[in-house]
Formats: sequence, structure tokens, C-alpha cells
Amino acid sequence: MAAISTTAERTTAAAPPRGRRDANTKKLARIGWGFSAPALLVIAAVTIFPIVYSVIMSVSNVQLSGNGFALNGITGGNYSVLVHAAVWRYAVIFTIVYTLITVIVELVIGTCIALVLERLTAGRGWLMALLLIPWSMITVINAELYGYIYNGTYGVYQYLTGLVGLGHPVILGTPTGAIAGMMVADIWKTTPFVAIIVLAGLVMLPGDVYEAAEMDGASGWTTFWRITLPLLRPTIALAVMFRVLQAFGLFDLPYVLTGGGPGYSTNSLAILGYFAMFKNLDFGPGAAVATSTAALVLLGCLASLRVFRVQVGKENA
Amino acid sequence: MRTRKRTGWRRIVNGVNIAGLISVLFIALPLYWMTIGSFETPANLASSPPQWFPVPGTTANYSTAFSQYHFWIFFRNSLIVTIIATALVLALGTLAGYALGRTPMRGKFSLLVVLLMISVFPEIAIIAPLYLLMREIGWLNSYQALILPYTAFNLPFAIWILRNYFLGIPKEMEETGRIDGAGPLRTMWSIVLPQALPGLFTAGIFCFTACWTEFLMALTFNAQTNFQTIPVGIATFGTQDITPFPTIFAASVVAVIPIGILVFIFRKFVISGLTSGAVKG
Repeated sequence: MAAISTTAERTTAAAPPRGRRDANTKKLARIGWGFSAPALLVIAAVTIFPIVYSVIMSVSNVQLSGNGFALNGITGGNYSVLVHAAVWRYAVIFTIVYTLITVIVELVIGTCIALVLERLTAGRGWLMALLLIPWSMITVINAELYGYIYNGTYGVYQYLTGLVGLGHPVILGTPTGAIAGMMVADIWKTTPFVAIIVLAGLVMLPGDVYEAAEMDGASGWTTFWRITLPLLRPTIALAVMFRVLQAFGLFDLPYVLTGGGPGYSTNSLAILGYFAMFKNLDFGPGAAVATSTAALVLLGCLASLRVFRVQVGKENA
Repeated sequence: MRTRKRTGWRRIVNGVNIAGLISVLFIALPLYWMTIGSFETPANLASSPPQWFPVPGTTANYSTAFSQYHFWIFFRNSLIVTIIATALVLALGTLAGYALGRTPMRGKFSLLVVLLMISVFPEIAIIAPLYLLMREIGWLNSYQALILPYTAFNLPFAIWILRNYFLGIPKEMEETGRIDGAGPLRTMWSIVLPQALPGLFTAGIFCFTACWTEFLMALTFNAQTNFQTIPVGIATFGTQDITPFPTIFAASVVAVIPIGILVFIFRKFVISGLTSGAVKG
């Protein structure tokens, strides 16, 4: 992260003063827009336009027929359907709680793994390579794998709990079990990602601070709480932000592992929106669900805008 | 740096290494089950207690996946969509990243923040309008139905990574090129790009992974087997009542291998990508 801030400062220094822009600068800026136009057009076509359309759809009467669909007038009906639906209220709470718990657990375990990795004296490279496998794994495969592990009659989990005398708890058949089981599957896949980021932050910490702490006779525990953790804060904030925003879109895992069930106990907002739109063909309420998800993410984005700003640096050329 | 000097057997057997071993087990055991499961006969995989070793082993699950479940079609589709989208992202992303890193465009800062926000936007928010749009123009069940959205969704992150690399390259080198009479495209191609190669690797491997694993859009836009990708294919293996785990595991192993090899070769660039400012899982 240190590397970025220095490069950002360099551009600030090299950038021309605001206001008067000479011909050469203008020419270069034109070239810049020319170069970025194709990329920006593709992004706008696939994201900005549909986002706007999604919002419009969510406040319209959508009528679907065999050969197309029509928006008939503006209505607040889709949203009032949502607010009055227990399923939607549950999905909102579920998505938020699920996100909070998984991200916190991932952060704690991920930091532990990173601390271990940093001090590991044997096999560090191999462990790093191993960490990247769950990260690069298709989530659907992750879900199928845990579906097998949790299987009630021959799953490995049942066998292991039986072995240590915990009996045979039902995982995917009960709401609590399904939610907890899904969290474990999610934590398995994404903790390595957090660990790698934290490790990179750890490696970049200045060594002399630790020497000073050691001379002052600080214990390992004090050093961790008073020095390591505060210094790691920007790294951790960034990891948390991206994990949180990503977890709001939770879809693949419940779709394959639980199908949103039992009942609607693992219905995330994305699952709810998908089933409303593509199973029940309720495009209006579905779009309202999608828009409410997007609003949640946008709120998260705005809340963490400070982190974004840190990333972009102080340039404003 | 901070570890006390340890001697003898304590160098290998200590709390830290034991904790390391536990994290290895936590991560590796599920992967181990997947791999041995792919070599077990269906009867043995469904036996209780589970077997720790596939005895007798079989490769029948692999042939079942390919012959009965058309896995090679999914594999081919994933490869086509992923490679084309990654190439497009790198081409367009390089141009835009260079422009945003190196030219005095007005409003660069706001543009970069908007790009970052788009890169974390949930797919569910745009899936319905995109679906309706693609139905109108007849793109459902086609490669472009996935290539175009994948390109758009992965571009912001690639632009970010590449911009950071371009920022780090000394300006003098470009000026030398300009004095020699090279145009902007030429300067970028032969002077700047070779130096930004690590950035291209990083952006490339992230884009490849994201396209290879994407599920929601692939599920929605391409319902026909002929255009389904690996995640959708594997999710639809079996029937309502029977989940053919051995076959699923065999297909999963085949799906994990290419990405695993790529990630292993480019692991240096993955790690630098995760840490060089923009993060994405």
C-alpha cells in the first residue's frame, strides 16, 4: 500500500496546475478520453443502463406476455408488496446478519492464519499455494462439496461428530443447521483470501517498531494488540469492505447447497430476487428486491467512501 | 524478525507450526475428500463410515461425467467464454488504464471511484433488465451473452490494477519515445506495455478466475446445454432425488485443475493483485 501512495504523490507533483491548460495538455487529455472510451462504453452499456432500467422497472406495473413485456404506468405497489412481505424482511435481516457473522469469523481466523504464516519456519510457500485453491474454486463446487460433507446418511461430518461422541446432528434439514452449515462452507472458501491480504499487510510493517517494543520489554500479546493491530487497520478495513459488499450479493452457495431452504430460512436477497423474477416471473417485485439489494450495497459503498479515497490517493488532476 | 531463536527439535515442533498444520487440515481436508471421492465407486462413497482411501479405485466417474453428462461441452464453453472475455478485458483495460494513469483527463478521480463502485455492484441488480434486453436482441443462449457482461464486470478491476502499474513507470521513457516521433499508441505498445507486464498478468489471472467461476448470469442467460458453462453444468448434474456425488467430484477435479495450475504459476501476481490497492474475491 505504501507503493501506491508514493506513486500517487508523484502524479500530483507532475500534474499541471488547475485552470489554465495548455494546448499540449488538452491534446493529451483528448487522447486519454479516446483511449478509455471503448472500455467506458462497454461498462456503461452492461451496468449503468440496466441499473437505471432496474430502478424504473421496480416502480412500474410490469406485464409479461408471450412475445415481450410492457411497463404500464408508475406504481409504488412493488415496494409496498416488499415491505408487507415477511419473506423480504427476513431476507434483509438474514443477509445482513449472515454477512456480519461470516466476515467477523473470517477476519479472526484469517488474521490468525496470517500471523502463523508469517512466523512459519517450514512449508510456507506450500501453504500459500494451498490457500489460493479455495479462493479460485467455483462456488458451485464448494457448495456441492459441502452438500456431500453434510449428507445425513453418509456425510463425513456426521461420521466425525459420531466419532467424538456428539451424535448425528442434522445439518441441512433444520433452519439453524442449514444457516450454520452454509456459513462454514463460506468461511472455508473466503478465509484464505482474508489471510493473504492480512499477511501482505504484516510483511510491510516496519521492523524497527518491533525492536523498540522488545527493548521496552513488551510481551508478545501487548505487541500484537498495541502495535500490530493498529498498524494493520487500513489493510483490514479494505479486506472487510470488499468482503461485506460481496457477501450482500450472496447467491451461488444457497442456490446449490440449500435452495434457500428449509422453508425460506436461507433466502438471501439475491435468492429471493432471482426466484421472484425467473421462477414466478414477477418482474416488478423482483426488480424491487434487486433494487433494495443494490441500495444496501450503495449504502455500504458510501459508508466506506473514505477507504475508497485512501485508495485513489489525493490526486485530482 | 520477531521470532526468538529456537534450537533443535523446537525449531520444527512449536506452537506456530502446529497452528499452521491445523489451518492446513482445515483447508485441505475438504479438498482431499473431493479428490478421493472422484475415484471411489458410487457404492463406496455412499457407505458409512466413509472410506479414507479409494480402495478399490475407479476412473469410471470421469468417463461418466464426460460421456453421460456432456462435461466436455461445459468445459469447452467455459474455455471459450473465459479466454475471449479475458483477452477483451486486457485489451480495453490496458488502453483505459494507461489513459487514467498517464493523461491529464479531467474528472479522473470521480471516474475511478465510480469504477470501483461498479466492480462491487451485485449482479442481481442488473440481471433482469439484461435478460430482457438479451431476449429482445436474440442473444439468449449464445457466447456473447456471457462474454459481454463478463468483460464489463471485470474491466473496472483490470483498469485499476493496470493504472497502478502505469503510474509506477518513469515518465522519461515515454518522452524519449515521443521525441523519436512515436505516436501515443506506438509509445504505449512498445515502451510502456512491456514494463507493465506484471500488471497484465495480475489483471489477467483475476479476470480468468472470475469468469471461470461466475454462476448467476451463466444460469440465467444460457439455459440450453450447448451454451452452459461448468458451474451451471455441475449444478444441474443429477435429478431432484439423486445427486451423483462421485460424478460431480470427478467433474469438479477437472474444473479445478486448469485454474489451479494457472493460479499456481501466477501466484506471485495473484498476491500482488490482492494487495496492490484493489481487492476482489
